[in-house]
Amino acid sequence: MLQVNDVHAGYGNLKILRGVDMSISDGGIVTLLGGNGTGKSTLLKAISGLIPLMKGQITFDGVDISNLKPHERVRLGIVQVTQAKEAYPAMSVEENLVLGAYTRKDREATKADLERVYDFFPVLRERRKQMSGTLSGGEVQMLVIGRGMMAKPKMLMLDEPSAALAPKVVLEIFANINRIAKSGVTILVVEQNVRMALILAQYGYIIRDGIILIEGIADKLIKDPSVKESFLGGSVADVSRGLNNK
Amino acid sequence: MGFDLNSFLAFIIFGVTIGVVYGIVALGISLIYSGLDIVHFAHGEMYMFGAFFGLVLADNVGLPYPVALVGAMIITAIVGMSVERVFYRRLTRAGGGYTVAGMGMIICGFGMSVAMVNVAYFIWGAEAEPFRANLDYIPRLQFPGDIEVPESYVLTAIISVILMIGLHYFLRYTKPGLAVRAVAHNKDIAYLMGINVPLMISLIFGVACALAAAAGVLIGPMQSVQVEMGYLMLMKAFAAAVVGGFGSLPGAIIGGIMVGVFENLGAAYISASHKDIYAFLLLILVLMVKPSGLFGVEAKVKA
Repeated sequence: MLQVNDVHAGYGNLKILRGVDMSISDGGIVTLLGGNGTGKSTLLKAISGLIPLMKGQITFDGVDISNLKPHERVRLGIVQVTQAKEAYPAMSVEENLVLGAYTRKDREATKADLERVYDFFPVLRERRKQMSGTLSGGEVQMLVIGRGMMAKPKMLMLDEPSAALAPKVVLEIFANINRIAKSGVTILVVEQNVRMALILAQYGYIIRDGIILIEGIADKLIKDPSVKESFLGGSVADVSRGLNNK
Repeated sequence: MGFDLNSFLAFIIFGVTIGVVYGIVALGISLIYSGLDIVHFAHGEMYMFGAFFGLVLADNVGLPYPVALVGAMIITAIVGMSVERVFYRRLTRAGGGYTVAGMGMIICGFGMSVAMVNVAYFIWGAEAEPFRANLDYIPRLQFPGDIEVPESYVLTAIISVILMIGLHYFLRYTKPGLAVRAVAHNKDIAYLMGINVPLMISLIFGVACALAAAAGVLIGPMQSVQVEMGYLMLMKAFAAAVVGGFGSLPGAIIGGIMVGVFENLGAAYISASHKDIYAFLLLILVLMVKPSGLFGVEAKVKA
C-alpha cells in the first residue's frame, strides 16, 4: 500500500530523515517507534506532505505521491491524525468532525460515518455542541481520531495517541484503534509507549537518528534483546518496571 | 451654546453610519490578519480602487448603484487576489505552507500601497471626483426632533448590515466558511483535513478586498472619490481593528462604530478641524485600559 524509498527530509537546512525505507501492506496496524527527536513525526509529515522531500520517493497504491500537496494526498486516502492538542478549540466537536469530511461529496455516507464515530466514542456525541477547547485531553484525542475517520481514509496515521493520557484512557483509545483497523483501514501509529504499541500492532519499525534501525513482526520485537538494548534503553525499562511493581 | 439633545443624537446616528463603514474595512484587515498572519498595509488602496471602480461603473457605464456596488466588489476582489498571488505569496511561502512573513511582508505592503496610489493617479488623475448616485428610491429617514438622515447614509447602514450578516453566515454555516476558519486557526491541520489551503487564502484575500471595495462605494456618495482617500481610511480602520481587538471580527465592527461615533462627537463638541485625531485618541485611551483591545484575546503566539 505505502512504499517509502530512501526518503531524506527535514526543515530548512536541517536534515532529520537520512534515508528511510518502509513498506506497509494492506490492512493491519504498523507501529513506528522511537524516542524524542529521532524523526518519527518528521516521517509522518513527509508522508502526509506537510514537508517536502529532499530526496527519495513515496508511493501509495502504486501512485508516486512524492510531489503531491497534502490536500491531494488526503483525497487519495492518506490521512494524518495530528497530536491531540491540535483540534480547533473554537469550533464545536461536531464542526471538527464535519471538517474531517471536508473532501467528501457523499452526504449520506458522511452522515452514517458521523454516527459511526459517535458509536465509537459516545462521549463525543454527548459533547457534540461543545467547543472542543473545553474537552479533556482524552476526549480531544478521541476527537482528532474521529475527525481522521471522517475523511474515509485508506490509511490512517496517528501521531502519539497515548501522549500525556491516563492509562485507562489509553486502553480505551487503543481498543478503538483496533476496531478501526478491523473495519479495513490500514493504520500507522507512531508511539513512545513501546510496550503498548507492540501489543497493538502486528509489525513494527524502530527509527533512530533518522534511519530505520530495526523492523519486524511485533511479537518478535517485544522479545528481541537488541530492541530493548538499542531503543528501550535498559534504564528506562527498569524504571517502568519499578513503577509497575509499586 | 447649550446642549441640544437632538443634535447630539444626530451626531451619534451619523457617527454610527460612518463607523460601520470603518468597521467593514477593519473587518477585511482582521480577516487577512487572522487568516494569513499578515498586516495588510495596502488595504486602504483596495478601498480607494473599489470606490473608483464603483464610480466608473455607476457614472460612466451607467449601471444602477447596487449593481455598481456588486461589480466594484467583484473587480476589486480579483485585483486583490492577483496582488496576493503574484506578490505577497512569494514572500510568505516557505516549505509549501503559509508562515509568518515578518518584516519583508510589511515593507511589501507599504510598497504595494504606494504603487497602487500611483497607478490610480495614472488612470484617474489627482482630482476629486463627485460620485453621483441616484438614490431617490431610498427613503430619507425622519427621526423625531427634526433629525433627517440622507439616503446615502440609510443605504450605507442597510448594506453594511447585509454584508456583516452575509459574512457571518458564510463563516459560520457554509463549508468554505468552515475551511476559512480552519485555515485561520492552523494551516497545517487544515491541509491535513484535505483543504486546499492556497485556494482558501486567495478566497480570504478576495473577500477582504471586496469588503473594502463595498466601503469605498458606500462612502463615495457621501464624500468625493479621490486617489489619496485610502491612507486615512486605512489608519481609521486600523484604529477600529485595534480598538476592537486585532483579529476579532465582531471587534472590528464594534471598534469601527466606536471610532465613528467618537470622531463625530469630537468634531462637534471639541474642534471640527481636528476631526481625524479623535480616532487615535480613542485608540490610545482603549489601549491604556485594555492593551489587547476590547474583544482581543491574548496575543497570537506562533510556534
